[in-house]
Amino acid sequence: MNAIADKLIPPIRAWDGALTQDLVQHPGDFGLGRVPARLAPDDTTTMVCGYCSTGCGLNIHLKDGRAINLSADTHYPVNLGMACPKGWEALTPLSAPDRATAPLLRNTLTGELEPIDWERAMVLFTERFKEIHREHGPESCAFLSTGQIVTEEMALLGALWKFGMGFVHCDSNTRQCMATSAVAYKQSFGFDAPPYTYADFEESDVLIFIGSNPCIAHPIMWQRVMRNRHSPEIIVVDPRKTETAMAATQHFTIQPKSDLMLLYGLANILIASGWIKRDYIAAHTTGYAEFREFVARFTPGEVSAATGISVERLWRLAQTIADGERVSFWWTMGVNQGHESTRTAQAIINLALITGNIGRPGTGANSITGQCNAMGSRLFANITNLIGGHDFANDAHREKVAGVLGIRESVIPRQSSLAYDQIVEGIREGKIKGLWVIATNSSHSWIHQGEFNELVRKLDFLVVQDLYATTETAQRADLVLPAAGWGEKEGTFINSERRIGLVKRIAHAPGQALSDFNICKLVAQYWGCGEMFRLWTSPEAVFQLLKDCSRGQPCDITGIDGYRMLDECGGVQWPWAGGTSNTQHSTSNIQSPEAERRLFADGRFFHADGRARLLFDLPRPMPEAPDAEYPFLLLTGRGTSSQWHTNTRTGKSDVLRKLYPAKAYVEINPRVAGRLGIAPNAAVTIASRRASMTATAFVTETVQPGQIFVPMHYAAVNALTFPAFDPHSHQPSYKACAVSICAED
Amino acid sequence: MTMLDETPRTLIDDLLDEQQRLTAVERFSRKHDADGVPAQARFYRDLIPLEKPRTGQQYAFAVDLDACTGCKACVSACHSLNGLDEDEIWRNVGVLHGGTGEAPYQQTVTTACHHCVEPGCLEGCPVMAYDKDAATGVVRHLDDQCIGCQYCVLKCPYDVPKYSAKRGIVRKCDMCSSRLAVGEAPACVRSCPTQAIRIDVIDTEKFERALRPGETLVPGAFDSHYTKPTTRYRTTKPMPANARPGDAHHLRLEDAHWPLIFMLVLTQMSVGVALTLAVLSFGTSPAVGATLGMGSFAILQAGLAVSVLHLGRPLGAWRFFLGLRTSWMSREILAFGLLAGASAGCALTGMAGWLGPRWAVRYLSAIGEMTAPLAWMTAVLGMGAVYCSGMIYIDTRRPFWRAAMTLLKFFGAALLLGAMASAGLLHWAAATLDSAVAAEALGCGIAATLILVALFGWEAAGFISALRDPGSTDHRSALTLWNLRRPLLITRVALFAASAALGLVAASHGGIAGAIAATAACATATAAQIIERYFFFTAVIAPRMPGGVAA
Repeated sequence: MNAIADKLIPPIRAWDGALTQDLVQHPGDFGLGRVPARLAPDDTTTMVCGYCSTGCGLNIHLKDGRAINLSADTHYPVNLGMACPKGWEALTPLSAPDRATAPLLRNTLTGELEPIDWERAMVLFTERFKEIHREHGPESCAFLSTGQIVTEEMALLGALWKFGMGFVHCDSNTRQCMATSAVAYKQSFGFDAPPYTYADFEESDVLIFIGSNPCIAHPIMWQRVMRNRHSPEIIVVDPRKTETAMAATQHFTIQPKSDLMLLYGLANILIASGWIKRDYIAAHTTGYAEFREFVARFTPGEVSAATGISVERLWRLAQTIADGERVSFWWTMGVNQGHESTRTAQAIINLALITGNIGRPGTGANSITGQCNAMGSRLFANITNLIGGHDFANDAHREKVAGVLGIRESVIPRQSSLAYDQIVEGIREGKIKGLWVIATNSSHSWIHQGEFNELVRKLDFLVVQDLYATTETAQRADLVLPAAGWGEKEGTFINSERRIGLVKRIAHAPGQALSDFNICKLVAQYWGCGEMFRLWTSPEAVFQLLKDCSRGQPCDITGIDGYRMLDECGGVQWPWAGGTSNTQHSTSNIQSPEAERRLFADGRFFHADGRARLLFDLPRPMPEAPDAEYPFLLLTGRGTSSQWHTNTRTGKSDVLRKLYPAKAYVEINPRVAGRLGIAPNAAVTIASRRASMTATAFVTETVQPGQIFVPMHYAAVNALTFPAFDPHSHQPSYKACAVSICAED
Repeated sequence: MTMLDETPRTLIDDLLDEQQRLTAVERFSRKHDADGVPAQARFYRDLIPLEKPRTGQQYAFAVDLDACTGCKACVSACHSLNGLDEDEIWRNVGVLHGGTGEAPYQQTVTTACHHCVEPGCLEGCPVMAYDKDAATGVVRHLDDQCIGCQYCVLKCPYDVPKYSAKRGIVRKCDMCSSRLAVGEAPACVRSCPTQAIRIDVIDTEKFERALRPGETLVPGAFDSHYTKPTTRYRTTKPMPANARPGDAHHLRLEDAHWPLIFMLVLTQMSVGVALTLAVLSFGTSPAVGATLGMGSFAILQAGLAVSVLHLGRPLGAWRFFLGLRTSWMSREILAFGLLAGASAGCALTGMAGWLGPRWAVRYLSAIGEMTAPLAWMTAVLGMGAVYCSGMIYIDTRRPFWRAAMTLLKFFGAALLLGAMASAGLLHWAAATLDSAVAAEALGCGIAATLILVALFGWEAAGFISALRDPGSTDHRSALTLWNLRRPLLITRVALFAASAALGLVAASHGGIAGAIAATAACATATAAQIIERYFFFTAVIAPRMPGGVAA
């Protein structure tokens, strides 16, 4: 009776019901704690995140094998149960309504992209590229790839392009983010080898961040800094008062692009004061005498004038480095994206070398990479280096790789590829006629974007392979190939600390979308070179091939059994040739490595003489300095942690979109705003010699008077940037171009 | 069928098939933590209290600003771990900035519900859909109790409750109560990479005593004395005096609440008509009582009907009496309920008074005698209801909605539209029912035009001075309208002018022409007041925690 009454008579206060139940939590099991009952998993699995190079482990909540939610993985040695907002939202972009679900061909009459089947797409793809190849030769086409796909796909793509299809030129968007570090390490250490492990963040007593804003760009690395129990000095060198600069114990607000002067000036003070490790220098480096003589000219007075840092503070900084027992140097895009970036990175490496801050816990000259698999690209993409960090020009290397891959050595070109900027130049000169763009968005991200977008119209054939047909570049393509994304395929990423982590297939690719791996296999078959890739049956089979290619190299990973071992170990850092360490692997007889390992403990570098080289050059003025007509320097960079990679994926998440302004804004110093009559939040026109854009004024003291800052994720920004490149790494200098600003009516 | 079966499978077929196979579970080992203890507990154990709050204590968020560096993981993790709707967030991260050229300053600020000691949301809720948990102090929202009136959204000075049109209710942070209850950390606490968020137990009384006059949680936040928010923000860095929210200069239009706009304008018009009837109810033609009584009633019904559209789940509105003790929304519902009764009586007696003599039914005429006292009763109840309407907004403590402004606007609208509508109605009555009421029609029309001019003058003077004076309370509201809704401002001036001109036409014409002009004057004045009420809702500066850079 009461039960019926309860049903019929609505309660005075409804403590429960359908709406309440929607949010009710149940114990999630699997060590997850309570989860929304609606989203209770029946299993979980761990994989690495597909955004940045931190390489966090994500615990995927599965129902019937399919991902329904995720949380940051507690056990993964990188992130200890944390993730940035992008990681938490990693699944959302996969179900975006604008996913490409079939190959799309541009109708030449209507100008629209129209769906076709894979058969037709592949016939067309191979016919067009073959035609160009036939008419204009092997140097007439190029691909522009990415740091966002798994290593096995990069390797297959690079091998297919160069060995199978017989083309020469290709590059990747990693040129835009870490080419400088790769070149700097290779020249200084003899191999592209970031020496550190994330535990170093926790073990330093002095951390120096140069052109790096980890609070925003790499929050999970900043987490490791905050776990440091040594009350470290945190030094930030950055023209802006960034979030990281706020958290620093010393912030050096240098003039943009004066970092090389600063670093040489510090070296001079350290050497002149005897605050260096002479034994270490003598035993492990070459070029010290020349370096000492070179830096002597960078007197504190001169450096102070160039950098805007007082002589006293220069001394204090040098003293801090000298007093530190475990000093680590960290740099990111502020260094990498510069007109003399390679020498700047090497100036940092030099400081670490002369003060003996390398190879020990809490030390190192450490480049924080950008993309989730930039490091995989550096070693295995077959672009700048022959697979496995080998040299295309080296006969023995070609022989070795050909042997492992079961191909003729003669199909491996001796010539290395043009860099990204040279490929763009090649399009201008009419030498590059066909372009295949994979998982990158050059029409948004390439420096001086307007010029790039003009040039691609000259191409005979532009193919874009992406998750979305809506990217700025796909919108210009003749043919769009629908790609499966992170989470819809298998493979491995290599993170900033050289950790190889696993990506698993936990979501269905929409429609006819295929993994980049499978698209490459299709291309191979339709091109007629499928036989060459008979060993490349699956991503894991490719992983085994790459292992064999790495044998004897500094990045030797022959000690890794396979994907299962990567899964069980929480990723494995290269090198791992097996054997030397401690714990028995749980399911096989293979030794598993310690979770965190660093390089150069023995002071032996990868040059033939075992020594690191001290490399340097005279600083050069920035190519487009502010002048009377364009009196401000435009700085670009990351505005929030919630945007990634021209926003192709992060822009699909409602939650992430709430975390940054929808429209472009520009940081302007209050005195400049006052002088120019720019009210806070007023519309401002920013003009460079190349283009102009509109942005909302954010009037703030955090940017210096001669500079303005606009986050790079607003597409208009790269229409303004000036195309200057580092001569060694060919990396674009995104953070320095002259602009004028004025209030809009 | 057989045809299909015989078609040889191509590589494309194989690859498309393979692409759809999910292999993670079968291919990789499972290494789940067997026991029920969440793996992450070892990292957050120190961030939640060991013991439950005792009497006189409650849970509170504590934020270490020195550790908050703006990654916003808390926002995203809260969303994922609580299974919120795709566009729903319960936490937010803003920024404070300021300082000097030598010492620039910026500080990110993570914020969610402050689980106030005296929650504005709870006090405003007409149906007791909020509960401040006696044991934990957590301010919980009862989703199934909510009627979606969104008054809590207006009452909360921290912009915490979020309305979901899809669900017809608001939802908000409950400090992950069910997690805390079993010793697990809330999602934000668990997910902050730098451990900037923790849960403390605070002594409520001690906390209240420690509140200094004018204290705010952080610069730019609302006076903490209003709701006594319990979150504690700590920093060792000196905060410069000029620290201000990242969105301090951002002009935004708040929700228009269209059903409320129409509800307020129509109910106020109705009360105005009832008041006119009361004033005119001595010794005049029964046509006045019938026309204005019925008119007032019909307008009121329209206003009340449209107000229902504002509720996400109107079927639960019968519980309105639960909030009478604290909620002006409950009181308004009650007041309008009583008003509806009186208004119906007034309309019926008015009709009786008109029909009685015509049909020579004496008892109808006798009932008609009741019109005057009922008209007064309706007018008084109506003014009470308008006052309750006003108090709903005044009680939010938003400066733009302060008592003087809100009551003047609401009662001004009642007088203006009451006189305008009465003039229109009586003009029609004079033309069709009884020419004797032409005098009343003219009187109402003149009064309406005078009120119109006075109201316009007062508003225009206020607006211009607020726009010019950056120190004025309403400066940002005026700026918002000037920058974002200028065409509508101009439209409104034009409507005022048109209404005044039409009023003069009506005054100088009799018959149908006069009636049409008076109706048009009323329509334009009503349109002007609808725009005014749109400004009232959209140009209010809603207090909130510091926001991020806004563009």
